[in-house]
Amino acid sequence: MRLHPFTSLTAAGSTAVITTAAASLPLSLTVIAGAAFLAAAGGAGRRMAPAAAGILVPLVLSLFILHGLFFPEGTSVLAQWGPARVTAEGLRFALERTAQLSASVLVLLLCSFTISVPDLVAALSARGVHARFAFVLASTLTLLPAISTRLARIRQAQEARGLVITGGVFRRLAAFRWQAIPLVLSLVEEAGTRAAALEARGFGNSGARTSYREVPDPPLQRRLRPVLLLAAAAAIAVRLWQPTAGA
Amino acid sequence: MAELTTPALAAGIESFTYPGDAAPVLDGVDLSLAAGTLTAVLGGSGSGKSTLGRLLAGWLLPGAGGTLTGFLDLGGTRLRFTGGAADPRINPGSWGRSVGFVPQDAAAALSTVRATVAEELAFGLENAGVERAAMAEAVRRTASQTSLAHLLDKDPATLSGGQLRRLAIGCAVISGPAVLVMDEPFASLDRSGAEDLADLVRNLVKDGTAVVVLSQRADDLLLDADSWLLLTGGTAAMAGTPAEVSAAGVLEAAGVVCPRQTAGSGILPPVCAAPVSGPPALELRHVSFAYEGKRRRAWAPATPEAAAPVLDGLSLSVAAGEIVAVTGSNGAGKSTLLRHLNGLLRPTAGSVLVNGRNIGGQPAGRVSGEVGLLFQQPRDQLFERTVEREVRFGLDRHRRRRLSAALGRPTANDHGVAADRAARQALDAVGLEHLAGRHPAELPASQQRLLALATVLARRPAVLALDEPTVALDGHGLAVLDRVVRQAAAEGTAVVLVTHDHDYARSIAHRLVHLDSGRLQSAG
Repeated sequence: MRLHPFTSLTAAGSTAVITTAAASLPLSLTVIAGAAFLAAAGGAGRRMAPAAAGILVPLVLSLFILHGLFFPEGTSVLAQWGPARVTAEGLRFALERTAQLSASVLVLLLCSFTISVPDLVAALSARGVHARFAFVLASTLTLLPAISTRLARIRQAQEARGLVITGGVFRRLAAFRWQAIPLVLSLVEEAGTRAAALEARGFGNSGARTSYREVPDPPLQRRLRPVLLLAAAAAIAVRLWQPTAGA
Repeated sequence: MAELTTPALAAGIESFTYPGDAAPVLDGVDLSLAAGTLTAVLGGSGSGKSTLGRLLAGWLLPGAGGTLTGFLDLGGTRLRFTGGAADPRINPGSWGRSVGFVPQDAAAALSTVRATVAEELAFGLENAGVERAAMAEAVRRTASQTSLAHLLDKDPATLSGGQLRRLAIGCAVISGPAVLVMDEPFASLDRSGAEDLADLVRNLVKDGTAVVVLSQRADDLLLDADSWLLLTGGTAAMAGTPAEVSAAGVLEAAGVVCPRQTAGSGILPPVCAAPVSGPPALELRHVSFAYEGKRRRAWAPATPEAAAPVLDGLSLSVAAGEIVAVTGSNGAGKSTLLRHLNGLLRPTAGSVLVNGRNIGGQPAGRVSGEVGLLFQQPRDQLFERTVEREVRFGLDRHRRRRLSAALGRPTANDHGVAADRAARQALDAVGLEHLAGRHPAELPASQQRLLALATVLARRPAVLALDEPTVALDGHGLAVLDRVVRQAAAEGTAVVLVTHDHDYARSIAHRLVHLDSGRLQSAG
């Protein structure tokens, strides 16, 4: 089933809120497993893995160092080095927080890697969101490939005139200084031309806009979204009234 | 064909000056475009054609974009400009609905944020708030008009040059403008692409659009134009029917290329007897190459098709002093072939030898001293702040290697002096020595092309690889190119040039080869 971008966003946001509010290890683990399964099934797993690792590894390490070694409430001491004590309670707390955080991060990453940006931009425009905002949102995806293509062209031009780029990452980074200024200048120059083109195509018009791209929004999904939002609100409410629930 | 009613667009430009410039770039240009007519604005590089086109199309706005004195008249509404603060202001959006523009670089007209060709076509209509059903109908009609119907679901970033130009035209005409201005629309199109485009233009004219083509070549289509306007140095030098302007014999002096100038001159005898002793200057042995994966955007599904080989066991041998022209249609892999000569691309099988030495495994920067490559797009090749710095880039390093070999241990001063001299000679050779302090981006396209050529010549390479060298060159530029290539060959440089321009290839090459399905065949 193709999800409307608002449904994807609502589902991801609500799941993250509910998992955080519930603070239940089994629920967090279920959500992690679900997100991993959906990412793999949807073919986004390989692209998502580096991003997930980049965000989660430092967070998880810091959680385990902080709570695993310094958890004042901990009584079952497993090991001790001076003021640092590894306690069973501390490790369990770090594990719970890790699972909770990983569940939210994975669910939101899954949403950002699978959502169709053109659909999102069209859906936002249809709801009257400002065209410039929608343009910036869409540009975030087109800008990086455009910059890397431009960079590769400049580098090739320089190599064709004797710039030797060899060796490891550091040498390549050092060689980037030759490309930085031409890259910025050419992007600025192109931005000027692009601005004229966009204005001539009526991008600056203040009147109402329409959208060519049709984003189907089935009735089931339309009804599902408020339910998800209500569930998220209810989870927060339960958490506030029963602060110890799930802990 | 011309009607004697109100012109769709008229301009009386007394002068137009860019901000910060002392001299006007346009000075005394009158133009009147009737519905259903084709007008060609001809002129050499730097004659003010592009400025005129952008001014007519609302891409360059009087006021912010420069100082205009004179008038613009769109559909009978006349706007007078005196260069003062009280001048009328043009709303580019509403002007753009009446006057469409296709810039020289067609990709610059696209929004870049639409996922398919259909959505890109509809972008202007969305901004005007057109209902979806009407948009769908307009997209369908425009796609069939511009032969894009089979590409509607494709990502615009994956289109070829010819398709991109048709898309830019589609974007410009979808709102049914009374006037369409096109800047060098035929540049770098092969023969079939140019014929398709000419048919499209004829149909637009037949349907009542006033079409203006800005060009430095009097292409076939333009011979049928209703009127020609010749620009020299920003001034209208002559206006009239194609026959009148041609008969006046002023086109060549203005730098306009007339195809018959180069047509049918036949293959010339070799500039020098090709030396057959010793290894050839350049040799490709059974070279195969395929791109690994197609470029795609993050949200586009991966294309499942396997990459077809662009070069398939291709062999070529070029002697010192020989000029070989490689012809082929757009997308045949000509540029890919040239990038193998200096190591920018590496063959998946086979080898490339320069002066008998295999360049495999060497970084392109090291091969550059022996093989000079002129890129297809000069803007891809130019990146420095001034013309002089552009030509000097990398010369110190290059000269150091050569001088070290020749003199033993030269001083840093020797390197600098030698590099200066080489840069000056190269600029002299292409006639740009008087522009040494200018910014490359400020130069007109033809001079940018010559500058790119100078950067290659300055290194005195043993092999000269030229990618579509005639594109963007006006008549004067072509004469320079011709002289430089012949001279380089006479001095023993092996020249490989790829071009879709058969006439040019026949006029300069000792040998013609045709690239098709990844292999070379003798073509004459």
